[in-house]
Amino acid sequence: MAKNNYGAYNIEDLRQLAKKRVPKGVFDYVNGGAEDGIAVQNNRDAYTQLKIKNRVLIDVSKRSTETTIFGKKIAMPYGISPTGTAGLMWFGGEAGLAIAAEKMGVPCTVALNAQTSMEEIREAAPNADLWFQVYTWPDKDLSLKQIERIKSVGFETIIVTVDGPVGSNREYNHKNGFSMPLKYSPRLFAQLLARPGWLVRVLGQHYLKRGAPTMVNYPEELMSKITDPMLKHMFTKVDNVTWEHIHRIRDVFPGNLLIKGLQSKEDAVLAKENGLQGVIMSNHGGRYVDCAPAPLQVVGETREAVGDDFTVIIDSGARRGSDLVKAIACGANMVMSGRPTLFGAAVAGTHGSYRALEIFKVEMDRVMAQLGLNSVDEIGPEIFWNPPEWVRKPKTQLKAAAE
Amino acid sequence: MGAETKTGIKSRCRVTMPKKNNLGAYNIEDLRQMAKKRLPRAVFEYVDLGAEDYIALGNNRDAYRSLKTKNRVLIDVSKRSTATEIFGRKLAMPYAISPTASAGLMAEGGEVGLARAAARMGVPCTAATSALTPMEEIYEKAMEIEGCNLWFQLYMWVNQELRKNFLERIKATGFETLLVTVDGSVGANREHNDRNGFSMPVQYSARLIAQVLANPGWCARVLLPQFIKRGEFQKVHYPPEIGSKLTDRESEHMLAKPSNQTWDDIKRVRDMWPGNLLVKGLYNVKDVVLAKENGLQGAVLSNHGGRYVDNAPSPIQALPEIRAAVGPDFKLIVDSGPRRGSDIVKAIALGADMVMSGRPTLYGTAAAGEAGAFRALEIFQTEMDRVMAQLGLNSVDEIGPHIFWNPPAWVPKPDSGLNRAAE
Amino acid sequence: MAKKNNLGAYNIEDLRLMAKKKLPRGIFGFIDGGAEDHIGVQNNRDAYTQLKIKNRVLIDVSKRSTKTTVFGKEIAMPYGISPTGSAGIAWYGGEIGLAQAAKKMNVPCTVALNALTSMEDIWEQGGGNLWFQLYMWADKEMSKKFMDKVKAVGFETLIVTVDGPVHSNREYNKKNGFSMPLKYSPTMIAQLLAKPGWLIRVLGQHYLRQGTPKKENYPPELARKITDKETADKHVKSDTQNWDDIQFIRDMWPGNMMIKGLQSAEDAVLAKERGLDGVVMSNHGGRYVDCAPAPLQVLAETRAAVGDDFTVIIDSGARRGSDLVKAIACGADMVMSGRPTLFGTAAAGMPGAYRALEIFHTEMDRVMAQLGLNSIDEIGPEIFWNPPEWVPKPKPALKAAAE
Repeated sequence: MAKNNYGAYNIEDLRQLAKKRVPKGVFDYVNGGAEDGIAVQNNRDAYTQLKIKNRVLIDVSKRSTETTIFGKKIAMPYGISPTGTAGLMWFGGEAGLAIAAEKMGVPCTVALNAQTSMEEIREAAPNADLWFQVYTWPDKDLSLKQIERIKSVGFETIIVTVDGPVGSNREYNHKNGFSMPLKYSPRLFAQLLARPGWLVRVLGQHYLKRGAPTMVNYPEELMSKITDPMLKHMFTKVDNVTWEHIHRIRDVFPGNLLIKGLQSKEDAVLAKENGLQGVIMSNHGGRYVDCAPAPLQVVGETREAVGDDFTVIIDSGARRGSDLVKAIACGANMVMSGRPTLFGAAVAGTHGSYRALEIFKVEMDRVMAQLGLNSVDEIGPEIFWNPPEWVRKPKTQLKAAAE
Repeated sequence: MGAETKTGIKSRCRVTMPKKNNLGAYNIEDLRQMAKKRLPRAVFEYVDLGAEDYIALGNNRDAYRSLKTKNRVLIDVSKRSTATEIFGRKLAMPYAISPTASAGLMAEGGEVGLARAAARMGVPCTAATSALTPMEEIYEKAMEIEGCNLWFQLYMWVNQELRKNFLERIKATGFETLLVTVDGSVGANREHNDRNGFSMPVQYSARLIAQVLANPGWCARVLLPQFIKRGEFQKVHYPPEIGSKLTDRESEHMLAKPSNQTWDDIKRVRDMWPGNLLVKGLYNVKDVVLAKENGLQGAVLSNHGGRYVDNAPSPIQALPEIRAAVGPDFKLIVDSGPRRGSDIVKAIALGADMVMSGRPTLYGTAAAGEAGAFRALEIFQTEMDRVMAQLGLNSVDEIGPHIFWNPPAWVPKPDSGLNRAAE
Repeated sequence: MAKKNNLGAYNIEDLRLMAKKKLPRGIFGFIDGGAEDHIGVQNNRDAYTQLKIKNRVLIDVSKRSTKTTVFGKEIAMPYGISPTGSAGIAWYGGEIGLAQAAKKMNVPCTVALNALTSMEDIWEQGGGNLWFQLYMWADKEMSKKFMDKVKAVGFETLIVTVDGPVHSNREYNKKNGFSMPLKYSPTMIAQLLAKPGWLIRVLGQHYLRQGTPKKENYPPELARKITDKETADKHVKSDTQNWDDIQFIRDMWPGNMMIKGLQSAEDAVLAKERGLDGVVMSNHGGRYVDCAPAPLQVLAETRAAVGDDFTVIIDSGARRGSDLVKAIACGADMVMSGRPTLFGTAAAGMPGAYRALEIFHTEMDRVMAQLGLNSIDEIGPEIFWNPPEWVPKPKPALKAAAE
């Protein structure tokens, strides 16, 4: 893998390459945000506005980006977010993500909306740190039955996505004639035909080997092709889900339980009080509430509210290794993202996803060296120069000057 | 010491729009665009741009634009007026034309046009030491118009004898108000001039000649008449000992704008000048206090249109602190940046007595001579009148910092006693 | 959602672009533009877009509603149509279309004094929750007669516009050769000819059926044709207007009365003291004072000054359903705007105006769901993340976590 960087020196390169290879409607579906794209931009700006200061003349030859989460060692504080579209990037894309994560040694989250079954993914990457992500259907009992299947495959960590009580407002999808479920309109056909490589490699291969792409992780009662009209009972955007349902999951699942999609620290406190192991602060990649703050902006106040013994992960916006350093400094345990490895998958399947992970690791390692930091534990808010007030203050005992 | 009150000269307070001809210019920016088309590139950029990265130039505008004003409704404003008074003379609005060296490059006899336009509007105009038209000619042509109010701007020459003679000449011509420019003691870093091959005095490089020839209109309108009437461009006030042709070397700079000038020089001018005396080009509160202590009547807070120190604040940002230090009687004028009538209102609200600027009327002159300069003044006056109406203000005295919404910290609080709010 | 036909418009900006294509340049410029450098227009948007809001998860929002009550009448959402003088040149019978659209959505619509359709026709053919907007004339007798007429038609709510003591400075109008009253200059005629569709559908139809467009609500003594010069002393832009003039109207008008065009909290207090029922804080869509703050920005100080028992409405700048939520959170009772429904009218007549209202309604409903809010009463400043200081502080008793 070290030989071939696929012409991508950073995540943006992967994004540009993916754009060329994937039909427009599909690319925009992955790439875009909600409404005016303000949240997507703000997610990046939140990171890029933070300035960090180097430290010189510190021995960093034994540094490491490793950390621990839920008792497992991982190569860097980064994981792959659940996304429903890896299978549209590359045939068997979800399995590819898992294999790449296994090779790097970081967690990967299997999505409920994957087009590859959880069993198959588990088999393809037996040693990967795999997590599973669920939505809640209108039929709550059916949702609980699903947990049993997930347990039986061997997943130890479940993430319940809770930030979608209603569908989101993604106008470019309408304008592109793209929707999930897929509707083969003339406009979509034209876009697919404009990408013959993808048509053959991805969609063609899928139809040949497996038939129409299907939501294979759904229970029998709800399973459907991604071209089937979505009937009401299949909706994952359900507006009457409450903490009561989370309790029911908590009761039947003994492993690590997290909820994903939070912006308010009050909700993180409630999650802790309800016995969960952690939360993922997220604005769903800027795809739901266009005026949401970036998760990076709320992690400081969240950490202050829940204390140090609760796992706080953030997603939405990381594109550089330095972003990982900043997120840790602001109080996160770990960063997740969806698009970088999806772009990688679109470019070169498993190898492309691995390239994305590699970029993050190499960059994080370099920045830590420049900042004179030897381990993730040493990263704290004292690295920042003149940060905005939403960045937490340094603990004075930590990290005295050239000690 | 102060000026004697001039009596019997009326100034118009309210000017009606000439319905026929606004010259196609609806705002100062329109005049700027017109000037850009009619001037050789080097000449336009010499006027238009500032120093280095033009940060101060942008900041001068941003400082005004960032201030928000709240309207007041249902106040009878039918009798409002933008008129004010300074040094015993009534003005149509608290605005004056700054001294500039280049009016003669905008239009033939540009300085005379500026002075006459100002007289017609009823506001002061400042003749420059570096003018290309003699002060006597400017004064005479402008005095034909009722309401003429001319000031003079001085650079302090090193040679005391020359300086004294010059002051006598200024006095004899009839000027009563003198502005001494003190911010030019080292050259400015204006990279566009170097790239264009332009300098004052003018040096005819190949590049400059090419630009001039590319603008035949300007050659015909400005260059030719100048050569016919007066010969080469000359800084006509400079005695031969210092050098006067625009093409003479910059050693003239050392003799005219010495870097060793001090407050002693100002004291000497103060001793020789009985009329109103102000310094121009300062914005540090310590300096303004010194000006007051030395018996001057006022100061023009200025960063010279963003043309010297690129990291300078806007004069209006420095104004409140300075007003608090010198009290209400010392005259504080601000230049550098106003382009809208609302800017004048804001400057007054911050504590200025008056606003000056150079470029707007220069753009107007380049666009259409005296009529263009008048158009610029007219734009300011009508806009100021409109904004005052919208804000429920009937006179300049009523303008104060209470008009602002959520201003930044450098804006004075209302009721600080040093503004003139009538609330 | 109009399942069949969203007219190809997914947001208000889409409607704006459609209007731009259909209207002659000078007319579109007249509607779209602001004063001087358009700093005010941009600031009106920035004030909204800079406010970040945080979602709340796991709250049952299946029974949420955007309904509210203003002046004793229930309305579908806290939004109303501002008075504008130009609906009739955007579409033939545009004012009636606005009224019909508002009635269909069940929100208030304000009939403008400068309408090109008579108030009686609008009342009869439009119906719904109609308000009337007035400028004050110098002639008191004329004013009295006029108000009796307005009362007789059936209007209960009167809005007096007071922010125009002088004409505004809208330079693009002059550059476009556009003015009100309309002047058929060569520039203007060329622009009209460039839009043959509009020429036939709107102006042509008007001339055929009714003759020259007229301000049908003006008393016959005053100039009425939109091409007539307005006689100076009877002009509505009066710089002598003062609070006694308002008192005169208050004494004659028994229904709800508001003044529109305020920016200062002091003026709102004066209005309350004079016995008015409310105010519309406004910078007239950025069309008068270019350095005015956005009404959203002065809302908190206004509410603090007048208390809770006075109706405070804001206009100028709303373009998204999330804007309505933010305005309520900052203390408004309701939001009004003029351009969105005008753009819709120009694009497609009454269905276009309705589409604009529908966009606001669906977006507001979606954002409320994402924020875990079930009713307008629940919206408060605690939804904001790190707001600027002009946003009111949350009341501690209100809106505890998932109660």
